[in-house]
Amino acid sequence: MRKLSLLLIVSLLLSLGAGVAQAGKIDDIKARGTLVCGVKDSQVPFGYVDEQTKQIVGFEPDICAYIAGKLGVKIELKPVTSSTRIPLLQQGSVDLVAATMTHKLERDDVIDFSITYFPAVQKLLVKKGTVKALADLAGKKVGSVKGSTSEKNVKTAQPACEVVSFETYPEAFLALKQGKVVAVTTDAPILVGLKYSDENPDNWEIVGEDIAAEPYGLGLAENDSDYRDFINKTLMEMWNSGDYKKLYDKWFGPNTKFYIPLEWKMEIWP
Amino acid sequence: MNYQFNWKLVLTGEYGQWLLDGLSVTLQISAMSIVFSLLLGTIVTVLRLTRVKPLEWLSLAYTEFFRNTPLVVQIFFWYFGSDPFLPGFFKEWLYQQNIEFAAGVIALTVYTSAFIAEEIRAGILSIPKTQLEASRASGLSFLQAMGYVILPQAFRIIVPPLISQFLNLIKNSSMVMTIGVAELTYMARQIEAHTFHGFEAFTASTVIYICISLVVSFAITLYDKHFLRRVRY
Repeated sequence: MRKLSLLLIVSLLLSLGAGVAQAGKIDDIKARGTLVCGVKDSQVPFGYVDEQTKQIVGFEPDICAYIAGKLGVKIELKPVTSSTRIPLLQQGSVDLVAATMTHKLERDDVIDFSITYFPAVQKLLVKKGTVKALADLAGKKVGSVKGSTSEKNVKTAQPACEVVSFETYPEAFLALKQGKVVAVTTDAPILVGLKYSDENPDNWEIVGEDIAAEPYGLGLAENDSDYRDFINKTLMEMWNSGDYKKLYDKWFGPNTKFYIPLEWKMEIWP
Repeated sequence: MNYQFNWKLVLTGEYGQWLLDGLSVTLQISAMSIVFSLLLGTIVTVLRLTRVKPLEWLSLAYTEFFRNTPLVVQIFFWYFGSDPFLPGFFKEWLYQQNIEFAAGVIALTVYTSAFIAEEIRAGILSIPKTQLEASRASGLSFLQAMGYVILPQAFRIIVPPLISQFLNLIKNSSMVMTIGVAELTYMARQIEAHTFHGFEAFTASTVIYICISLVVSFAITLYDKHFLRRVRY
């Protein structure tokens, strides 16, 4: 009899545990009181460590802060890289990833994505006057970053080039500066950031055809539609209220070094 | 936990080929670094024992410097940090070559040779001093005495710790992925990035590393047993 009651208690506890696990991300986050966001820490101006404050700042941390504000919780930023961001999200170490991540269908098998919050295209960053287009890359070394979509795209677009993949984009840019690779390829806004991180931005130029479209979406845990709906609604609210434009202008507006005209419209559901 | 295992995807076809390519690079970089670090380590040790003060200091400085800096730092140093010290025309030619691989070999060689030098020194010190004195007395030069009398005995003694160094080197070779050398770990990570099947990719690479290490360890032990210990000097 005692054994039976023990069994009952254990199974009850287990089912309770299962019930908690099914409660969903939003409840988890609210219970915890913090929204843990995976962001880049060396990707000017999307997410980088500010020289003065030593804090991670940027366009993407600001978007995370907006979402955390809507949830009424505090924000915690965790630095991620292109190759760690999906595993960290799968493990639940971060609640969302805002780290210049392209929404690719194959990534949709393992995580979910929000609607696009930044549309990017893949280009080449080269030393001024050297490479003009993809065709010039035949037989040359091109720098990229491990686990990125740009790495795959450039191999498809120019099979004759040799791709050397680094851990971060600043390392790839350093290799370009030293002449070890003839071009760095990734999304144009990242390339603009790299270009202006140099003392003489005029030595570098962004060239080439649009190698691929790279729409950025927020990475979310797989199969939690309430959470995804909430994030999508929040992004649309942000666009409709004009807060998106304010943030965009703060990082990419005409008064910044990284000026990219706001020429797109977020997908807004009626 | 709703992870779908897919061993076939990772181990066959394009991704299987990637693992093999990575294995081939790991073997190449390890083999080259083992040979060079053994040579360099021997030279550094012999310098230490010459009793010529500046050479001794040089050897001591070399050992302590390269033993006490992290390997990743050395890899970045040889790859990124060496740039300002290379002459322009040479650089242009060099960077067209497989500079990533070369920098990896240099870093692994220099790092491991510092450890190997200390082990060879321990081996040499375990040979009674009188042997060196006797060989010098019978007319051999310092280098001849080292080459014909001391080193052959010392190497026999240090076979077990040398095996450990070689195994460390093989595993340390995974760090050259940081400068874009497409060795085994790099490939495993690429497969993870492309397929999201990190578990299978890293398990496969783990098994491969264990196999390489066991084969190397076994081969050296056999060589030691059936050759080194039978030779009469």
